[in-house]
Amino acid sequence: MAALLRPARWLLAAGASRRLPLYLRLFAGGPGRPSSVSRLTAADVRPAAGVLPSQARLYTIVAEKKDLSEEPPSLKRNSSQFDWALMRLDNSVRRTGRITKKLLQRVFESTCRSGSPGGNQALLLLRSCGSLLPELSLTERTEFAHKIWNKLQKLGTIYDVSHYNALLKVYLQNEHKFSPTDFLTKMEEAHIQPNRVTYQRLIAAYCNTGDMEGASKILGFMKTKDLPITEAVFSALVTGHARAGDMENAENILTVMKDAGIEPGPDTYLALLNAYAEKGNIDHVKQILENVEKSDHCLMDRDLLQIIVSFSKAGYPQYVSEILDKVTYERRYIPDAMNLILLLVTKKLEDTAFQILLALPISNEDNENDFGSFFLQHCVTMDTPAEKLIDYCKKLKEAKMHSSSLHFTLHCALLANKADLAKALMKVLKEEGFPIRFHYFWPLLIAHQKRKDVQGIIDILKIMKEMGVDPNQETYVNYVFPCFDDIKSVRAALQENECLPNSNTLYQAEVRSEALNGNLDSILSLLESNISPFPFNSLRGSLILGFRRSMNVDLWSKITELLYKDGRYCQEPPGPTEAVGYFLYNLIDSMSDSEVQAKEEHLRQYFHQLKKMNIKVSENIFRGIRNLLEGYHVPELIKDVKVLVDTEKIDSRKTPQLTSSDLESTLEKLKVGNQPIGDVLKQLILLLCSEENMEKALEVKAKYESDMVIGGYAALIHLCCRHDNAEDALNLKQEFDRLDPSAVLDTAKYVGLVKVLGKHGRLQDAINILKEMKEKDVLIKDATVLSFFHILNGEALRGETETVKQLHEAIVTLGLAKPTTNISFPLVTVHLEKDDLPAALEASIDLYQKYKILPRIHDVLCKLIERGETDLIQKAMDFVSQEQGEMTMLYDLFFAFLQTGNYKEARKIIETPGIRARPTRLQWFCDRCITSNQVETLEKLVELTEKLFECDRDQMYYSLLKLYKVNSDWQRADAAWNKMQEENIIPREKTLRLLAEILKSNNQEVPFDVPELWFEDDRHSLSSSSASTVEADMEKTVLEACRLRKFRDAFTMFLEAQKQNVVFNSETYSTLIRLLLSKDNFTEAMQVKDFAETHIKGFTLNDAANSLLIITQVRRDYLKVALETLKAALDLEHIPSKIAVTRLIQAFALKGDLESIEAIQKMVNGLSIGLSSMVFINNIALAQMKNNNIDVAIENIEHMLTSENRTIEPQYFGLSYLFRKVIEEQMEPAIEKLSIMSERLANHFALYKPVTDLFLQLVDSGRVDDAKALLQRCGAIAEQTSIFLVFFLRNSQKPKKAPVLKTLLELIPELREKEEVYSSSMKSYVLDKDVASAKVLYDHLTAKNVKLNELFLKRYASLLKHAGQPVPFTEPPESFEFYIKQLKEERESPS
Amino acid sequence: MSQLVTQQVLPVSRPELADAFLLDMAASAVRRGLTLAPPVAFIRRIPWTAASSELRTYFAQFGHIRKCTVPFDRETGFHKGIGWVQFSSQGELQNALQQENHIIDGVKLQVLAQRPKVLEGDQTSDED
Repeated sequence: MAALLRPARWLLAAGASRRLPLYLRLFAGGPGRPSSVSRLTAADVRPAAGVLPSQARLYTIVAEKKDLSEEPPSLKRNSSQFDWALMRLDNSVRRTGRITKKLLQRVFESTCRSGSPGGNQALLLLRSCGSLLPELSLTERTEFAHKIWNKLQKLGTIYDVSHYNALLKVYLQNEHKFSPTDFLTKMEEAHIQPNRVTYQRLIAAYCNTGDMEGASKILGFMKTKDLPITEAVFSALVTGHARAGDMENAENILTVMKDAGIEPGPDTYLALLNAYAEKGNIDHVKQILENVEKSDHCLMDRDLLQIIVSFSKAGYPQYVSEILDKVTYERRYIPDAMNLILLLVTKKLEDTAFQILLALPISNEDNENDFGSFFLQHCVTMDTPAEKLIDYCKKLKEAKMHSSSLHFTLHCALLANKADLAKALMKVLKEEGFPIRFHYFWPLLIAHQKRKDVQGIIDILKIMKEMGVDPNQETYVNYVFPCFDDIKSVRAALQENECLPNSNTLYQAEVRSEALNGNLDSILSLLESNISPFPFNSLRGSLILGFRRSMNVDLWSKITELLYKDGRYCQEPPGPTEAVGYFLYNLIDSMSDSEVQAKEEHLRQYFHQLKKMNIKVSENIFRGIRNLLEGYHVPELIKDVKVLVDTEKIDSRKTPQLTSSDLESTLEKLKVGNQPIGDVLKQLILLLCSEENMEKALEVKAKYESDMVIGGYAALIHLCCRHDNAEDALNLKQEFDRLDPSAVLDTAKYVGLVKVLGKHGRLQDAINILKEMKEKDVLIKDATVLSFFHILNGEALRGETETVKQLHEAIVTLGLAKPTTNISFPLVTVHLEKDDLPAALEASIDLYQKYKILPRIHDVLCKLIERGETDLIQKAMDFVSQEQGEMTMLYDLFFAFLQTGNYKEARKIIETPGIRARPTRLQWFCDRCITSNQVETLEKLVELTEKLFECDRDQMYYSLLKLYKVNSDWQRADAAWNKMQEENIIPREKTLRLLAEILKSNNQEVPFDVPELWFEDDRHSLSSSSASTVEADMEKTVLEACRLRKFRDAFTMFLEAQKQNVVFNSETYSTLIRLLLSKDNFTEAMQVKDFAETHIKGFTLNDAANSLLIITQVRRDYLKVALETLKAALDLEHIPSKIAVTRLIQAFALKGDLESIEAIQKMVNGLSIGLSSMVFINNIALAQMKNNNIDVAIENIEHMLTSENRTIEPQYFGLSYLFRKVIEEQMEPAIEKLSIMSERLANHFALYKPVTDLFLQLVDSGRVDDAKALLQRCGAIAEQTSIFLVFFLRNSQKPKKAPVLKTLLELIPELREKEEVYSSSMKSYVLDKDVASAKVLYDHLTAKNVKLNELFLKRYASLLKHAGQPVPFTEPPESFEFYIKQLKEERESPS
Repeated sequence: MSQLVTQQVLPVSRPELADAFLLDMAASAVRRGLTLAPPVAFIRRIPWTAASSELRTYFAQFGHIRKCTVPFDRETGFHKGIGWVQFSSQGELQNALQQENHIIDGVKLQVLAQRPKVLEGDQTSDED
């Protein structure tokens, strides 16, 4: 205890003394550096509105307006929706000078979805419909604007004068013809007062058409209303006169302006310039430009671009270059120029557009980004002729503006499905030496495929042929065949059109396609009718696919026979034995273990048929297949493959099954006869080695030393290493070297040597071996590095400091392994093992200085804290903060305090001002807690980081839930969920799903809809905002109460509303009903439902509420009503949850209501509820038994299990539910008959799953005597290890299962030594704190000399410690995580 | 290996058991993920001009390619710029990851180590 308190004292004392490290003092000093940093970044996040280019200027206005807008503050989602839309559009304009139609459409749709869009959103959308859409024709743009206008109005957006003005601006930009007076009338009807801007724009509208009369009329209005006449009006008048053909008066306007006291500005001059440009008067334009230059005014690039547009639109492209010369090409105008270029292309003035494009100041040197794609793409859209486009591409490339212009354009052409253009481009590409690839044609083929247009497909294939591209198999299978009704007709169609490929790709494709559909008969006939020979290899993948999709063993065999015997397919050197053997190997390799298990019988028949056909495989292949089958746990099949082995070949090669004594006597004889004995000697040595008979092997070696060969030595060395015989191993190695100094052992043998030498203190010898490995360039695999780690770690655990150090040094400096954190672990471990903390810290620091790694610093810090070694902590922290920064140090310290349970200190650290979240480090610690199951530590971490700046709270809770899930702790999970609401966290979908899973798997109801709940509520409060405020408030209150899960408040408010006859949105009722049901307020829920049904036409509950309703009805035993609910839901094509349907079925079964179950079966047939058919089988049987139809039920089950065409494989045929229910309900006759049935299935059909399941259920429900009797009658149960393993694994996760597992071990004691079983049992004992049973297990295992893994020991030790009992062995020092990982690694490493 | 057997005898009658079983599976997947990441490179920004065979050719310089996948969208006929390359050893994968620039058809690829996860999608792999 004192040790725990010491660090606290240190920390508290440090606060007052100068021992407080500098950084802590800094942080503590109020508004110091770190907090100012965070302020800075916060400012950065704000959109930098001031630097927007001109086109985007309007957005800043909108953005400012946003702040002033009178949106109710509660509509948070609305405003974030707006921010999002603004950001998207703004970014687009800033980068590309435009908005694409797609983007605008998307923003529009999402705005509509958000409910009732605010005025600012409407404004944003409307303003985007003008010149920012240069890729659209003018009429299309205006149509878009109208669409937006009408739709938003329908959604309840209130328009004000700003919206009308925005619409006017769009009209002007789009040169939309409209009647200004009608427009004014419309505004009047909407009771909107036009303002100055409205009139100005209307004047401009008249002027654009040259209607000076109309313009004067409006001007008159303005005068009567005493509105000021601004420069904009005069500029419009300039345009107006010019368009009316009166240039003189247009010029005069400037004088009028001056008389009125208004100095003409750039806008007026621009109007005049445009006027002359439209007339093609370059001289005047140049003159005015000169005048403007002389005056104080200055035209910007944007204005000059405007003049260019005017010239080109009016048909004077020849003057464009003169204006271009005057453009200064400031970079910030590039978006404007891009906009203009696109506009020109839209207007079919692509040559002018290209001229401007080439003139743009794009730095050609760095050439990192290609420029001009937007132009090429738009040209493709606008159907610019191919020759022109190709010319542009080439020029762009020459100008080094675009490195892959042709490819890019081809991409656009393919995207737009323009086959002719694509063809032209591909031709050029081919000429230029670029490859034309198959997949270039896929987009074109797909377009035809969708329309089932055979001729179109053929046309594309012809183009491919023309381009010299032979379609590959994939092209045929995926893109050509689907267009035809039948694969057979493809060949004919291709032949007719002379598109048949020269190679046999088409055959291969046909085979593959048939294989995909599992049509083995078609494959067989294809292979039989095919005339051109081709290699088996090219078919292998397809055949495997086909075999796996068909269960027709006869066809499997026939095809294999054909391939084996027919010269067309196995011509190549290795011959049919190799090819077919390799095929078999691959076939089995490609299957999963469960698949092989399921198809065991089929495979067996197949092998035997092959045998009859006299098909053979080589010994090597057999061995490969044998290994696979062992890995799949189907060793029973091995003997069936063995029959295929080509025995003749084996006989000639070696004599099998010779015993060592046979060999020894042969050896004697040969020796006496003075014949060469090398081969036999080697055989004998190898045999002895494989028998692990070291003594004898060494003896033989000594006897015949002069005849020993390299191979024999290698095996012997390895043998000695395995037997921990360093002495002989080294001697043998030296003899080996003498025999042939250049010979190389394989990696594992070298590693074995290093290990054994190191272990016996022959350090220098071990290092010499390492050196040799380097010199001889021995292959270092990942597993080798892992072995090095284990060697080092072993030495470290033995406390051999010097050995660890030198070996590590040698391994790293020789470059055999990189100095990673992992391999350097033992350097620190060795000191930690000895409890020498200063040395451990020193080692860690030393490693950092050498290799920049800091292994186990967390463990070192934890130990230091536990000991209260303040000086060393200070040293460690100084070092870390100097090398890796203060933040890293603070986190290290924080985690160490947490780990050691010093939460107060941890809190102090994490509350250091300026500290911010480091997601990777937090995640590291979370994961660590999860793997080592440290619930309290993780909970504390989550709690302490609540206020941590930028901490991803959802992620933290997600980790916490993950741990709860491991422990199936739904109560804590539920509590965490409440805390999340308290903290106002908006969970991600995955978090909600995880939470739902935990609750569901623990048979708890999920009180929310996965995953829409949170958004739903907001949306509805929005859509109701237009309703009268009282009603809206009521609805909001109900939803808010629902969100907080205060069901009583919500229901009271509902009653209140009902009294006043206020009707809510139907989703609100669904939400309320769901909440009431989840709180088991059935009557209230029905009351709400009735009201909703009578007041909202066609009111229906959503899926989640429906499922909950069914479950509640089942619980209340209203089964018929529940069935109706289900039927109604299904009629509406709703899909209720699996659990709801299952509950209902189970309830009917217990009532013996067979009819209803069958009715449900019919109803849900073919629906994707995810119900397993076992649910029906179990429950139908149960229902039948409840009706005393036990025999019928049993007959059905037996039939399903034993019939030829069974639908469920026996190993998935789980009857546990039925057994459990029958036992629970004490239906003795049924139990007896089921027992007889299970035994019959076991004895006659070798189906052991049912009897084993029954046995387990008997044990599980405490009927041990019955179980025992069953076991006695049917001994094979004890051999169903795999079923038991699963039972153990599963039950070890659940609390209170320790007695069951214990009983099981007593009944079948041989299980006890299975690693999975004793591990699971220990886990369960620990979970249930059953110290006595754990002790018995441990004693049993140690008595049996079972080598227990560290994880097991660690678990046991933790249990003992918890119970305050002494631990009779050294507790494994590492974390649970470490041992789990180690165990895994050991299993995977080959040794 | 215990997971292998688990699969074999999956009881499908009781949802809660099936869930517990999934949990088991997930746990073992997590355990596996800790140690055994297959040597797979996740490739992003693949130019549209390149498909799996181009990727395979290119990455062959770093080691033996066991599998190379670039899934194509069967709606559009284009791939989405991502793919997976499975090497036969971690060392080979490291070779590839260590090289700074990877360029196919003039386009710089983004090459990342695939997080421990099964190799995805096999619809257009060029496995042989």
